[in-house]
Amino acid sequence: MTTAACFIIASRSDIPIYEAEVGSAAKREDAAQLPQFILQAALDIVQDLAWTTSAMILKTIDKFNDLVVSVYVTDDHILNIDDGIKSFFQEVHELYIKSLLNPLYLPGSRITSSHFDTKVGALARNFFCSRTQYRA
Amino acid sequence: MEPDVSIETSCMIRIAVLPIGDVPSTLLRDYHSMLLRHCTIPLSTISSFYTEHQKSPFAHQPWETGSLRFKFVLGGAPPSPWEDFQPHRKILGVIGICHCPSSPDLDLVIDQFNAAWRGCSSVLVQRCFAFSPGDSQLEDTKKRENLVLFPPSDRPAQELHLQTMMQDISASLLMEFEKWVLQAESAGTILKTPLDSQATLSSEEVIKAKKRRLARAQKTIGDYCLLAGSPVDANAHYSTALELARLTADYFWYAGALEGSVCALLVIVASEPNSSAICNIWWVGMGFRCVCMLMASLQVDRMGQKDIAIEDEVRYRYNSVIVHYRKSFIQENAQRVSPLTFELEATLKLARFLCRRELAKEVAELLTSAADGAKSLIDASDKLILFVEIARLFGTLGYQRKAAFFSRQVAQLYLQQENRFAAISAMQVLAMTTKAYRVQSRTSISKQSLSDETETGHVDSGKMHHQSVVSLFESQWSTLQMVVLREILLSAVRAGDPLAAWSAAARLLRSYYPLITPAGQNGLARALTNSAERLPSGTRCADPALPFIRLYSFPLHPSQMDIVKRNPAREDWWAGSAPSGPFIYTPFSKGESNDNSKQELIWIVGEPVQVFVELANPCGFDLSVDSIYLSVQSGNFDAFPLSVDLPPNSSQVITLSGIPTSIGPVVIRGCTVHCFGVITEHRFKDVDNLLLGAAQGLVLSDPFRCCGSPRLRSVSVPSISVIPPLPLLVSHVVGGDGAIILYEGEIRDVWINLANAGTVPIEQVHISLSGKNQDSVISIAYENLKSALPLKPGAEVTIPVTLKGWRLFLGESDTAAGKNAFGSMGRTLKDGSSPSLLIHYAGPQGDAQDIETNKSSVPPGRRLIVPLQICVLQGLSFVKARLLSMEIPAHVGESPSSLANMDSKPFGEAVGYSKIDRLVKIDPFRGSWGLRFLELELSNPTDVVFDISVSVQLEKSGNEDNLSVDCAAEYGYPKTRIDRDHFARVLIPLEHFKLPFLDGSIFSKDLQSDGSTAGRNSNFSERNTKAELNASIKNLISRIKVQWQSGRNSSGELNCKDAIQAALQSSVMDVLLPDPLTFGFRLARNGSENAAKLDLPKESDTSIHHIASKNSVIAHEMTPFEVLVRNNTKETIKMNLSVTCRDVAGANSIEGAKATVIWAGVLSGITMEVPPLKETKHGFSLYFLVPGEYTLVAAAVIDDANDVLRARAKSESSDEPIFCRGPPFHVHVNGTA
Repeated sequence: MTTAACFIIASRSDIPIYEAEVGSAAKREDAAQLPQFILQAALDIVQDLAWTTSAMILKTIDKFNDLVVSVYVTDDHILNIDDGIKSFFQEVHELYIKSLLNPLYLPGSRITSSHFDTKVGALARNFFCSRTQYRA
Repeated sequence: MEPDVSIETSCMIRIAVLPIGDVPSTLLRDYHSMLLRHCTIPLSTISSFYTEHQKSPFAHQPWETGSLRFKFVLGGAPPSPWEDFQPHRKILGVIGICHCPSSPDLDLVIDQFNAAWRGCSSVLVQRCFAFSPGDSQLEDTKKRENLVLFPPSDRPAQELHLQTMMQDISASLLMEFEKWVLQAESAGTILKTPLDSQATLSSEEVIKAKKRRLARAQKTIGDYCLLAGSPVDANAHYSTALELARLTADYFWYAGALEGSVCALLVIVASEPNSSAICNIWWVGMGFRCVCMLMASLQVDRMGQKDIAIEDEVRYRYNSVIVHYRKSFIQENAQRVSPLTFELEATLKLARFLCRRELAKEVAELLTSAADGAKSLIDASDKLILFVEIARLFGTLGYQRKAAFFSRQVAQLYLQQENRFAAISAMQVLAMTTKAYRVQSRTSISKQSLSDETETGHVDSGKMHHQSVVSLFESQWSTLQMVVLREILLSAVRAGDPLAAWSAAARLLRSYYPLITPAGQNGLARALTNSAERLPSGTRCADPALPFIRLYSFPLHPSQMDIVKRNPAREDWWAGSAPSGPFIYTPFSKGESNDNSKQELIWIVGEPVQVFVELANPCGFDLSVDSIYLSVQSGNFDAFPLSVDLPPNSSQVITLSGIPTSIGPVVIRGCTVHCFGVITEHRFKDVDNLLLGAAQGLVLSDPFRCCGSPRLRSVSVPSISVIPPLPLLVSHVVGGDGAIILYEGEIRDVWINLANAGTVPIEQVHISLSGKNQDSVISIAYENLKSALPLKPGAEVTIPVTLKGWRLFLGESDTAAGKNAFGSMGRTLKDGSSPSLLIHYAGPQGDAQDIETNKSSVPPGRRLIVPLQICVLQGLSFVKARLLSMEIPAHVGESPSSLANMDSKPFGEAVGYSKIDRLVKIDPFRGSWGLRFLELELSNPTDVVFDISVSVQLEKSGNEDNLSVDCAAEYGYPKTRIDRDHFARVLIPLEHFKLPFLDGSIFSKDLQSDGSTAGRNSNFSERNTKAELNASIKNLISRIKVQWQSGRNSSGELNCKDAIQAALQSSVMDVLLPDPLTFGFRLARNGSENAAKLDLPKESDTSIHHIASKNSVIAHEMTPFEVLVRNNTKETIKMNLSVTCRDVAGANSIEGAKATVIWAGVLSGITMEVPPLKETKHGFSLYFLVPGEYTLVAAAVIDDANDVLRARAKSESSDEPIFCRGPPFHVHVNGTA
């Protein structure tokens, strides 16, 4: 399994408000968007599942080939979708709340803050690096 | 793997439908669809075709409720290696379809048919249906086996015929099944699957196979029972088979038997035939595979009433099926064959069975695991089918995105095949995903939603809730959308569908240009052009490409063409409909028509209109729009096309025009654009939504903003209605439409030509004024226009308008003075200070009855605004006015100078007075003591010469006979010429005003009641109130006219009333009121009878000297004098009169030591009583000792003066004596020498 991951925060109306690709796998050109496609499709499952469970973290709710989708549903039903893990989600959720507190940010619109971007990137690197080390 | 599998597939008899000979594809589909209606044939209907040859093995055949089910496979299918395992995979019957007109030789048809089905060994029944045979073919009575002719008839008859044939086939098949089962029970067939080892069997395996044989036979018999529509029998056989297979550990067959038993169970449960038999969506054999109805939801009408218990049972058994298929996986032949497809099929079957919303989670898990299995599938087409099925099931479940995802996987598999047909399939599959990815082509959006859109669009636009705005732009998965569109483009290019390629490229370019590099944009532009080259010219596409078009503005009618509602009930029909006043909102107008967003526009048939739109090309290439014109839904509009070139990243506002052609509403949806070789419609609403999204930060970017166009408020399309033709008045000023240059106060006629440029005569017309300086329009020859009515189309009329240049304001004139004529012209024009003519006009009112019944049917009128472009230049300017008094002593002569105010005389006596030269004439015998002049100082700052003429208009007196003479006498004075940049003074004598003025219009009533003009003076005195004074001043001033002339055709009047009034204000009493007493002297030497002659103006005018010599007084001679005192009041005045005589030095020459004059008679202390308005004479004689100039002055002290006199004398206390002094009279005393 590659360490590449695609991370998307989707708003209530299933519009991605933040997208990031973390990890560093050499991608094939034609399959470049495959993770996004999978994540978008997984929203169908998430939207049903989110109402049936109280758990915030829905692990491995969907998979395609080797790509596994995990979801972290925040309490206002904004979804973070990723093939990632709990602590990472929680950290990002904290970040997201911070950006939500910005009075100039219109909920539901795209997060364009570069600060947010770098923070998420750092978190992801941290998380994935530690995991690879652990696995090694 | 097979497509479209379900649990019930096990009980379907597969029949191949083969076209025989040449069958047009549309007809083939038609015949096929006819067949599809007979998927289920109830057993009860086939009994007549059925003959029981021997005891039926189907002991529990439900003849009443059961049925046979068919699955028609168009084009047939290659034989499957798994036929033995599942007989429903076998082609058990063949139906040939022949279209007789294209295959005349029936023998040949039979040959072809036989050849076609012979290849298939499993076929039990075969028929060839020949449709629409010709007469010759019908007459051909040669018996041919299996050929069924369908005589030409109407559709129901044909269907009935077909149904009968199907029942026949069903009966035949049933008999064949019986035969097969009987045979199988007795003989014991060897049944094998590819899963069984193909190599020579080892002895152990032979034994094993023998053991298994019985179970397999039982399972197969069960299958045939199912096919024969006897589930109870089938179930019995399956039970045996399951038992036996478990004993022999034949997992694969065990699972198969289990599957069959579930199917039997379901058939028993659904005891009556299920109408929703699933039709095959694949038709292989026409050359390519076409996927249709991929997403079509499976009809699952049985779901609702399905027993939970049965559902649980099915789930349990199928899970077992799946497990057993998995168990049967044998590692050694995994490379060659695998039961995986059966496992996946079973999974799909279960998923399809469970597929409904409440079980979504379970189904999704099943499908996910099925999708996982795809990795292990060897055959690409198996994978394809798997993904198709998964996509369909997700679609049924309502998971559109999941369905789209798998559809896209299908499309990718197709694209890997690298052939045209696969590309077409890929394109079609991708087209189905566009809805989920929200990159739909307009064509695929259903018509109904379009009509909804147009209906509600008008109402809702502008007040969309945020949430719905967001939902409009779920386009944020832009990377995915671009990928999908790019794939559609790729597949369309490969499939050779230029229109689809164009549409995809257009959508890609229009929606995602900000994410595409300029090179990529160029590539897309090239793709568009290349696609267009392969399309016939004039091809339309529903998806617009570039440019972006938004409404810029709807110009209202130019003021020359305004439309005004007509109120037929009123004389002034235009009133109330025109915008009244400068306020946009008035609280009194009840807010009817003040809704700005819903403005209404009226267009007129045949009159061109214009609409401004803004185009934007945000891409990095030159965009050339071949033609663009308004797209009008209502069809009553001829739009004029235009071609535009837009440079990269630019926007442009263009004017689109057109002519309404017929009455009714006009709906402008957008523009039709011919660009990149294809015609598309660009709707304004789409761009409005886009801009709304951009404003909210939801869309990538605003195409207009990135082109540098300023942000614009959204313009809504007004509701436009077209009305029948109206007259159209056009105007021009004769002699050029340039500004009319007037000097201040100049009066000039301007000719305005009005022509009817419409097609309807003008029947009503009214002219009014508006704007500033309305008083500058003195007169309009309205009658000229009136008399020209009705103004026929093409007719014209010229009306003169008299204009007068208004006064420039002080500051204005100051600055204007420094500038040249053109500078000041620009200024005055810009100020908009010119008045405008408002011409309301209208055509015929229509039928009188019509009006009564329907008021709104009155065609509206129109309004033409003719701005009078008047440019007022500073002309002669007035500097100041001064009142001057001049005192010229009178000469004492023989003439009986009348002491009555002389102005009253010309009216009274001198009817024959010519008015030619009314110069200021001073009667030398009366002098002009107290004569006052108004001095006007004028300057001419212009560069032309002005001639000034002053005229004083004397108003008529109250007398009747004077009226016949002339209504007003006028005193004209010679013209004064003022050169450029000079000053001049003009004197206006005010002498004439004294009495005639008093009997003017102000007091006319009083005069009439008095019946006497004599009382006017005192009358006035009594009414000496301030208001009357002011009125009289005004009256006075209004009679003074200072007119000027410059050049040949500029003339006007100088407005200096205010200045005159200011000048007169203080001394108006003196000007207007006569003294109470008038004194005069005359020589009493001669008889005074013919003195009147001397008063002839010409004589007195020609030579004062002559008169003087005639009336000269000689020294040393007793000269008799008379002093005349006239009472100008209404009451008798008692006075004490005295006369003095002074020499040149002013010393009294009568009294004193050095008296040079000796007198006879009384000179002082003369007590006199003068009756009202009468004169009294007093005679005396003087003897002059020394020749020279002497002055006679009379003075009087009035006794018992009344209030009037006191007021006149401005005395302060009542006991003050009133003293009157007459003007000096000169006496020239000649020496005797």
